[in-house]
Amino acid sequence: MKISSLIPGLAVAGCALGVALTPRAAAMISDEDFNALRSMVTNQDQRIGQLEKLHEQDQQTHQQDQQTIQQLEQRLGETQTLATNAEQKAEAAAKIQPVYPVAGGAMSALHNFTMAGDAEVQFGQAQGQHSTFSLADFAPIFLFRANDNILFEAGFDVTLQNNTDLSGKPNGGSSTSVNLSFAQLDYLLNDYVTVVAGYMVLPLGTYSERAAGWLNKIPDDPLPVDFLPGAGVGAQLRGSVPVGQAGQMLTYSVYGVNGPSSTDGTADAGSLDLGGNVGGDAIGSPNLNGNPSGGGRIGWFYPWKAHYDIELGVSGQSGTWSGNYLWSALVVDAAIHISPYFEVKGEYINTWQETDNAGTIQPTGWWVQTSYKLAGLNLDAPVVNDLELVGRYDTANDAMGSTTDRYTAGFVYYLTNTLLLEGDYEWLINHGFNANGLPSSQFVIQLSYGF
Amino acid sequence: MRSTLKNKRRAILAGALALAVVCLSVALAHAEPDKKTDPKPAPKKLTGAELYAINCNRCHPERYATEFTAAQWKTIMLHMRVRANLPAAQAKVILKYLQEDAGN
Repeated sequence: MKISSLIPGLAVAGCALGVALTPRAAAMISDEDFNALRSMVTNQDQRIGQLEKLHEQDQQTHQQDQQTIQQLEQRLGETQTLATNAEQKAEAAAKIQPVYPVAGGAMSALHNFTMAGDAEVQFGQAQGQHSTFSLADFAPIFLFRANDNILFEAGFDVTLQNNTDLSGKPNGGSSTSVNLSFAQLDYLLNDYVTVVAGYMVLPLGTYSERAAGWLNKIPDDPLPVDFLPGAGVGAQLRGSVPVGQAGQMLTYSVYGVNGPSSTDGTADAGSLDLGGNVGGDAIGSPNLNGNPSGGGRIGWFYPWKAHYDIELGVSGQSGTWSGNYLWSALVVDAAIHISPYFEVKGEYINTWQETDNAGTIQPTGWWVQTSYKLAGLNLDAPVVNDLELVGRYDTANDAMGSTTDRYTAGFVYYLTNTLLLEGDYEWLINHGFNANGLPSSQFVIQLSYGF
Repeated sequence: MRSTLKNKRRAILAGALALAVVCLSVALAHAEPDKKTDPKPAPKKLTGAELYAINCNRCHPERYATEFTAAQWKTIMLHMRVRANLPAAQAKVILKYLQEDAGN
């Protein structure tokens, strides 16, 4: 009974409490607050709407960007295809040589014509003689490039020189000579073979191919070089094969030439003519020997870095020089560079000449030359930095009774990279029947210009 | 009997599994690139300047690129390729190097 009577009582009390508390709760949220809250919600709705619109715009922009990227990719692919096609067409076109030269600026004669070469003036004095300007030399090389694979080149040597006797002693007057040093056609068959034909510089050793006045650091040639022909008429195959990627290479030259001849049609020891072409004999034969000479050189060049290298070569030539008499040569050459400043090079030359009056004679000799650029001392002195000291020893035995040993000390002063002042003093030791007529010393000063 | 057979099978399976793990680990060890035994990278190709320094200065004083025009260099390099027996590829790189700063 007590419980059942309590429930209605509690309900009544709750209602009374609810009625009493309701006005207080309503009083906590005012109209202003409510309106502010409502406007805030309204603003947020608007912002959400704006954001949704922005998002839609971004999506549209993204889609447009995607389309643009696809179009660009397509265009890139087309461009690459066009470039590949153009490259292939260019390669194909390059392989096709025009039958006739195409006229125009890029192929005009003057455009492909270049002149190089060197010029020298010498002043000297030999022991027992007056000092003199002994030589003026102009040695142009004319180069004409017909196309990328064909080159014609010719070198001349125009020299004004005092007349001398066989021993080199002036014997009165002077003369001007015009000599053809070489005149050859080069056809580059491919990357490894070049066909050369004409009057060619012969690769017997390396001196003959690198003997221009401004290249040699001493004004005169090594003595035993006179035992070799400098050039010959014929044809040659030459080229090189690179070994690895560091600049190493094997080089080769194989040639056939008319070969040496006789000055007087005989096969006597002193009649050898190394002038470069077969001469006629005294009875009118246009050719002293029917057998051409063959020769060649194999070389190995090994650079272990720039200005540090070694080069070795073996070369030779053999053939008849008068009738059936043979003339042969063997040359071993070597060159070493250690740093941009130090160089050693030399050649050993041995020849065999079958003769009618002296059996087989063997003119032989060798030379070695070393040089050092004083710039390597890092003295930071302008004159010293442009100076190079040079020394050479050369010896030659002509196998006909004369031997000469020569010691040379000299210098090269580089006025520019192509204008050189060279000077040297030579001590000569002569043996043999004509030794008394030769000077025992001499000095030579030479101004050389390479162009 | 059954338990003995099962144990044998388990032992065989475990052995095979262990052998497979050993073989796999050995194979992976050998397949993993060994930095010490990696082949050396291919040698860098020499630049035109390097090939010029290697080949040209050993016979004559340096010639500057500006001394000749691009067309003249083309002719001169043809002459030098024949005279000095330069490999074709090297001659092309040297020519490109000289033509870049050729005179007008």
